[in-house]
Amino acid sequence: MLLVSSSVYAHQPVMDMAPRWSEGYGFQTRIEQFDSKTTTWVEGVYTFKPSVRLTFKLPHTDGEMGNLILGVPLKKYVNEGPKTSNWGITPSVKLPTGTGNEGDWDLGLSVSYSAETPSFYQFYDLYAWDDRVGLDVNVGFAFPGKGSGLFALWDVSVLSSNQGDRIQTGPVFVYFKKNLMFRAEHKTLVYERDSDWSGSYFSVAVGLVY
Amino acid sequence: MFNRINVLALLIALIATPALAQDYVIKVNGIVCEFCSLGVTKKISKLPFIDHSRYNKGVRVEIEDQMVTIAVKEEAELDKNALFGAIESGGYNPVDIWLLTPEGERVDYQP
Repeated sequence: MLLVSSSVYAHQPVMDMAPRWSEGYGFQTRIEQFDSKTTTWVEGVYTFKPSVRLTFKLPHTDGEMGNLILGVPLKKYVNEGPKTSNWGITPSVKLPTGTGNEGDWDLGLSVSYSAETPSFYQFYDLYAWDDRVGLDVNVGFAFPGKGSGLFALWDVSVLSSNQGDRIQTGPVFVYFKKNLMFRAEHKTLVYERDSDWSGSYFSVAVGLVY
Repeated sequence: MFNRINVLALLIALIATPALAQDYVIKVNGIVCEFCSLGVTKKISKLPFIDHSRYNKGVRVEIEDQMVTIAVKEEAELDKNALFGAIESGGYNPVDIWLLTPEGERVDYQP
């Protein structure tokens, strides 16, 4: 239950950077492990134009299909020489499509900012979803290659909810070659209050964009 | 006989001469990663005047200095508006364009 609703903002293939082009689309499968549960996410994105996208996320946990999450990331890009940045606002809705006992509609909203240069990347996402408020930060270095690239980032995730509060932190690696991407992250629980979460968080994802 | 040989040699030389390359260089703000270049290449390569036989589908992106080089077909004419529109639909901002001489020098482009 927690896992199905914990990743509230609409992660797109390769963080928020692709597909940025009009009429682009992508899919990714993400396997997430936390608190003795494993969730498999099927996620997708369609970019109408760089400033308007549509995303979906469908989780599958312990043999049960979760609720479908739709998001509409709206972005304002600023391109300045060797730097690109964007502000984003993403309204999301969770539809009661799951086979479990979480059949309520929910609404979410996130506000994000990211900036990138050939060697540096930063991403901040503040979100509210149901009873949860959180902040996700990715900051680190980019290592571009010929037709490929690697990002080595550090993640800090802060969550406050009725189930308790927590802070997790750890490394994130993103590798892509042509239109194929791979993402892996591992976060350790460094702070918790009024909760009984256990273990560390691990996630791997493979995606394609066209 | 001599004239026939000369004419034949001239024809062979004309056929063997490689097409005159028309390359242009565009400064594109914000194109800082290989994924950025994927989208821009995808959009530019769909333009009808792009020569797909050179570079990567007719496009070369250098993210170190945010420069995009395109190859235009010999018999085609560059459509600057369409080119800039394609780059913008890829998510980035073209700010300047130059004609690339065979010697590799950039000269001002005058449509």
